[in-house]
Amino acid sequence: MLELKNIHARYGAITALRGISIEVAEGELVALLGVNGAGKSTTLATVAGVLRPWQGSIHFLGQSILGKAPEQIAGLGISLVPEGRDIFPSLTVEENLRLGAYKLKDKTQYQHNLEEIYTLFPVLRDRLQQPGGTLSGGEQQQLAIARALMSNPRLLMLDEPSLGLAPALVDQIFELIDRLHQRGVTILLVEQNVDRTLDIVNRAYVLRTGAIEDHGTPEQLRAHVDIEGIYMGDRRRTKG
Amino acid sequence: MSLATRLKPYATPITLALGLLVLAGLTDLIQITLLIRIVTVMFTSLILVLGLQLYMGNSGILSFAHIGFMGIGAYTSVLFSMTPAAKELSIPDIYPILLPLHLPFWPSVLVGALVAAFIAAFISYPLMRLSDAAAVITTFAVLVIIHVVLVHWGPVTNGPRTVFGIDNYTQLWTSTIVAVIIVFAVYFFKESRIGLRLRATRDDAYAAASIGINMVVMRWLAFIISAFIAGVGGGLWAHFITSFSPYAFYLTETFVVLAMLVIGGPYSVSGAVVGTVVVTFARELLRAIENYINILQVFPEGFFGFTEVVLAIVLILILIYRPSGIMGSREVGWPQWRRRKDDGEANNKLQEA
Amino acid sequence: MINLEFIINTISLGSLYAMLALGLVIIYGILRLVNFAYGELIMIGGYTMYLLTGFTPLPWLIVAVLAVAAAMFTSLFTELVAFRPVREKSLTAMLITSFAVSTLLQNAALLLISPRAKGVTLPQIFQTSVTIAGTDIPWRNILTIITCAATLILLLLLLRHTVLGIALRAAADNFTMTRILGVPANTVISAAFAISGIMAGIVSIFWIGRSATVTPTLGAPPLLVAFVATVIGGMRSLTGAVVGGFVYAILISLLGLFLPPELIEFREAFMFAIVIIILLFRPEGLIRSKTSVERVG
Repeated sequence: MLELKNIHARYGAITALRGISIEVAEGELVALLGVNGAGKSTTLATVAGVLRPWQGSIHFLGQSILGKAPEQIAGLGISLVPEGRDIFPSLTVEENLRLGAYKLKDKTQYQHNLEEIYTLFPVLRDRLQQPGGTLSGGEQQQLAIARALMSNPRLLMLDEPSLGLAPALVDQIFELIDRLHQRGVTILLVEQNVDRTLDIVNRAYVLRTGAIEDHGTPEQLRAHVDIEGIYMGDRRRTKG
Repeated sequence: MSLATRLKPYATPITLALGLLVLAGLTDLIQITLLIRIVTVMFTSLILVLGLQLYMGNSGILSFAHIGFMGIGAYTSVLFSMTPAAKELSIPDIYPILLPLHLPFWPSVLVGALVAAFIAAFISYPLMRLSDAAAVITTFAVLVIIHVVLVHWGPVTNGPRTVFGIDNYTQLWTSTIVAVIIVFAVYFFKESRIGLRLRATRDDAYAAASIGINMVVMRWLAFIISAFIAGVGGGLWAHFITSFSPYAFYLTETFVVLAMLVIGGPYSVSGAVVGTVVVTFARELLRAIENYINILQVFPEGFFGFTEVVLAIVLILILIYRPSGIMGSREVGWPQWRRRKDDGEANNKLQEA
Repeated sequence: MINLEFIINTISLGSLYAMLALGLVIIYGILRLVNFAYGELIMIGGYTMYLLTGFTPLPWLIVAVLAVAAAMFTSLFTELVAFRPVREKSLTAMLITSFAVSTLLQNAALLLISPRAKGVTLPQIFQTSVTIAGTDIPWRNILTIITCAATLILLLLLLRHTVLGIALRAAADNFTMTRILGVPANTVISAAFAISGIMAGIVSIFWIGRSATVTPTLGAPPLLVAFVATVIGGMRSLTGAVVGGFVYAILISLLGLFLPPELIEFREAFMFAIVIIILLFRPEGLIRSKTSVERVG
C-alpha cells in the first residue's frame, strides 16, 4: 500500500533521513522504532507531504505522492496524527471532528462516523462543546485520533500517541490501536514504547540517526535486537 | 605571503571601495553636471542603504524607521550648520534658543547623527523585545510618528514647508569618501563578534540564547548604529540638496532604499552597494522616460508614479524569482585575475607543508 | 466635554477601528503576514466611489457595495499574483512584497488617476444629524456603528457555523495541521484575503464619509491605526483586534479632548508614546491569546 524507497530528507543543513526504505501492506500494523532524533517523525512528515525529500520515491496505492501538497495527500486517504497531538485548541471538540471529516468523500457518512467515534471514545461525546484546549492530555490524544478517523482513512499514521500520558491511558491507547488494527485499518505507528508496540504490531523497523538499522516481525526483533539498547541508544546490536 | 593573501580578509570592502572610487573618478573626469549630481546623491543613498543593511542583514528584522532617522539627522545638522541669519529667514517661527547654535559642517553632521542615534536608542529599546511581526509594525509606526512630528513642529522644521538656504557643503568627493568609510565600517561590523552573534540570533534565536547571547541588547546596538549612519546620510544629503521638506523622509524614500537593498541582496555589504548603483541608474532612466512623456502631455493629469510602479514590479519579481537579490548573500572577493595567482601560492604552501 | 455626542462618536470610531484591525489580523493569524497593502485597499474603495459618483448616475447604496467589491477583488488579486508565489519563502520576503504591493498600488493610482485629491460626492444622509437627548448626532456615526456591528455579527456567524469559518479558525491555530486534514491552503488563504478586502471596503465607505476626498496616500493613516490597534490588542486573536480598535479610539478621542490646542496636532505622537508604554509592560498585547492548558492525566 505504502512504499518508501531510499528516502533522503533534510531540515535546513541537517540531514534527517539517509536512505530510508519502508513498506506497509494493506491491513498491516507497522511500527517505526528508535530513540529521539532517529528520524521516525521525519519519515511520517515526508509521507504526509509536510517535508519534501530531496531524493527517493514514495508510492501510495501505486501512484507517486512525492512532492504533492499535504492536502492532496490527505485526499488520497492518508491521515496523520502528529506528535504533540496538534488538536485545535480554540475549536470545540465537535468542530475539531467536523474538520477531520473535511475530506470525507461521502458526506452522509458523517453522522455514522460520529456515532462510531462516540463508541470508541465516549469521553469525547461528554465534552463535545468544550474547546479543545481545555481537554486533558489523554483526552486530546483521543480527540486527535478520533479526528483522524473521521475521514475513513486508508492509511493512519500515528506519531508517538502514548507520549506524556499516564500509564493507565497508555494501556488504553495501545488497546485502541490494536482494536483499530483488528477492524482492518492500516496503521503506521511511531513509538518509543518498544515493548508495548512489539506486542501488537505485524512488523517493525528500527531507525537510528536517519537510517534503518533493523526490521522484522516482533519475534525476530526481540530475538536479535537489544531492546534496552534501543532505549539507551546503545551501539550493541546483538544479544549475548 | 603575497599582499593579496594577506589582505584577503579585507578583500570585500577594498574591492567595493576601489569600484566606487573609480566610479567617482570617472564622473569627476567626464564633468557632466547631471551625472555628478546623480552620483553624489547615489553615494548618500548608499550610506543609507548600508545603514539599513547593517541592521536588517544581521538581525534579520525589517526596519521601516530608517528614513525617519535620516530626517532627524538632516534637520538637526542643518539647524547647526546654518547661520542665525539664514535660520531666521528660512524658519520664521524658530525657537529663539535654536538661533545662536552654529557649528562647522562636519561637527553639524556629527551632531545630527548623534541626535538620531540617541532618539533611536530611546524609542527602540522597548521595541526590541517584541516578536518579529510586532517589531516590524512598530518600526513603521516610528517612521510615521517621526514624519508627523517633522510636519507639525513648525518652530524647528518649518512645518510642512521647505527649509532652504542651506550651504552646499556636500560635493562629489565628500559623499564618496564618507560612503567608502561606511562600507568598511559596515563590513567590519558584519565580521565582528557582535555581528556574528547577531546573525546567530537571526538564524536560531533559542540556540543563541542558550549560549548566552543577549538578543535584545545586540539588536538594540545594531539599531542605534544603523540610525547613526542614517543620520550621517541625512546630514550629507541635506547639504547637497540645500532645501527640503519633511516629505522627503517618508514612504517613497523608504521604499526606494528598501528596493536598493533587496534587489542588490540584503545579506551582504556587496549587495547593498550593487543594489544602490543598479537602482540609482535604473531610476534615473525611468525618471527620464517619465519626464519625456510628461512633456508630451499625453496624460491630462500628468504622468507621475511611473518610476515607482516599475521599481515595485521589479522588486516583486526579484522576491519571487531571486529573493536573495543580485548578489545572493555572497560578498565580492578579489577580482578574478588575481585569484589564479592566489591559488598558485596556496598550492606551493601545501607542498611545503 | 464627555457628552452623548462624544460617546457616540467614540463608539463609532471604535467600531470602525475594530473592523480595520480585524481585516489585518485575519490574514496575520493564518499567514503571519503583516499586509502593508491593506491600507491601499481602502484607497481603492475610495477611488471606486470617486469614479462611480463622479461619472455614473448609480445610487449611493450600489456605489458603496461596488466599492466593497472592488476592495475585495483587489485583495484577492494581490494574493494570487504577488503573495502566493512568495508564500513558501521567508516571512521577510512576504513582508517586503506587501510593502512593494502597497507602493505599487499607491503609485498606480497616482499614475492612472491623478496626484491631486479628488472629491467624492457623499449621500445626503452623511451630512445630516439627528437630535437625541438634546444633542445633535451625525447620522454618519450611527450608520457606522450599525454597519460595523452587522458586519461583525455576519463574520461571527461565518466563523462559527460554516465549515469554511471553522477551517479559518483552525488555520489560525495551526495552519499546517489543517492542510494535513485535507483543507486546501489556497482556499483558506483566499477566503482570508477576501474577508480582509471586505473589511477594508466597508471601512473606506465611512472613512471617505468623514473627509469626502481621496488621495493616493489615503491608505497610510488607516494602516497605521490598524497596526497599532492590532499590536495593542495582541496580534493573535480576533477579539484582541476588536479590543485594540476600541482602545485606540478611546485613547485618541480622549487625547483630542484633553490635549492643549498647541499639541493637538501631535495626537498621534502621544498615542504612540502610550502604545510604547503598554508594550513595555505587555509585549504580547492586552489580550492573552488562548493557550491550551493540559490537565495531568
